[in-house]
Amino acid sequence: MTSEGGRVTHPGFEAQVDALLDGELTADDARELEAHITQCPECARFREDRLALRTAITAGVPAYRSPDALRERVRTALAEAASAEARPMPRPMPRPMPRPRGSALGALWRPMALAASLAIVAVGSWNLSLRQAQSDRLADAVLASHIRSLMPGHLTDVPSSDQHTVKPWFNGKLDFSPPVHDLASRGYPLLGGRLDYVNGRSVAVLVYGRRQHLINVFVWPAMRGQGDGPDLRDRQGYHLRHWSTPDYTYWAASDLNPTELQDFVRLLQQSDSDGSVASPR
Amino acid sequence: MTSRAAVESIDRARFEALMLPHMDAAYTLARYWTRNEQDAEDVVQDAYLRAIRYFDGYRGESPASARAWLLTIVRNTAYTARKRGRVDAVTTEFDDTEHSLAAIDDQPDGVQVRHDAKETLGRALDRLAPEFREVIVLRELQGLSYKEIGEVTGVPVGTVMSRLSRARARLQEALRDK
Repeated sequence: MTSEGGRVTHPGFEAQVDALLDGELTADDARELEAHITQCPECARFREDRLALRTAITAGVPAYRSPDALRERVRTALAEAASAEARPMPRPMPRPMPRPRGSALGALWRPMALAASLAIVAVGSWNLSLRQAQSDRLADAVLASHIRSLMPGHLTDVPSSDQHTVKPWFNGKLDFSPPVHDLASRGYPLLGGRLDYVNGRSVAVLVYGRRQHLINVFVWPAMRGQGDGPDLRDRQGYHLRHWSTPDYTYWAASDLNPTELQDFVRLLQQSDSDGSVASPR
Repeated sequence: MTSRAAVESIDRARFEALMLPHMDAAYTLARYWTRNEQDAEDVVQDAYLRAIRYFDGYRGESPASARAWLLTIVRNTAYTARKRGRVDAVTTEFDDTEHSLAAIDDQPDGVQVRHDAKETLGRALDRLAPEFREVIVLRELQGLSYKEIGEVTGVPVGTVMSRLSRARARLQEALRDK
């Protein structure tokens, strides 16, 4: 950078000095620019001006505090939005909050009300809606158990990566012997198992890992005549996958990305169908 | 409490614990975007409702990343509201001829105002296009890094740098001319 006849001939230097003052330059670049500024009165004055501006902004441009009424409004809106979303069966929408005046953003309630009325139309059949509600409840229970298991000390009752330790552990604790497969060679090591209570019965939960992610696989015997198709839900950052074999009902829950979770489910299904031919103990 | 309600309340509690502390930052950004208290409140409320819907996608870990994530949504909400034309849509790009200081001084409120530095600065900031105003607010009032500002405003860091520099030059001019 040079200065000729008082006219700055290094375009872009302003942004550089700004970046310097903002602490955004690398140490090397900062040192170089500092050295230049000591030689260049133009740049030195520019820096002084910028420092003065910063002082003026600090003194004269306020950051605002959000009004208490707004805090209240937001809390109420969040609570209503959450309960509208979580409602298992369609019910009338809660009355929207009274708004101080109409605005474009107030229109937000309208799509939600529309969604609710569409839901009522869609779930026309009572039978269907009943089954839907049951599987909703099940998904909720699985998700709640998954989240509980992530709390300290809740993950496994039998922490072992050995399927031949985990499988016998369930003996005498359940009225069935869940299939246990170690998928470590495929990148999903078995971490252990635990007992849990879901859908009104004791179930086996097998815990698998993938990098820092955990996968809970819930297993219990399939009920005759209650076979249902695979199910796939994404909820609150977690992914739920459900499938059945003639013998067992499965749910998998994880925060793992959906692609890998699907891959995991496929591997598990494969191991299951292989295992039925040549059962490992 | 049903399991659904339990899950929902755990999740909402987490959302509120992470996001509500940044409401002042959200409101400040919205205030400077909309230049209007009521519109700012609407933007903030709408942004929080969007945020809880998108919370699944939030992967940050620090309070700073929660703030940047929330501010991104606030910014986009304000931007969309302006595009819809409901929020005061007067955007004033850098334009010396249209918006001289004299023209602003003749605004019709009829009150003779004393032009101290604070007021001059506030007016100059108001006259910036929101894309320039927001970088000043995010940097000077909220101390975001260039990278964070880039995330919030959806532009590359180089653009953040040049916008910030142009916006500052503009404010400095206003102070000098007063």
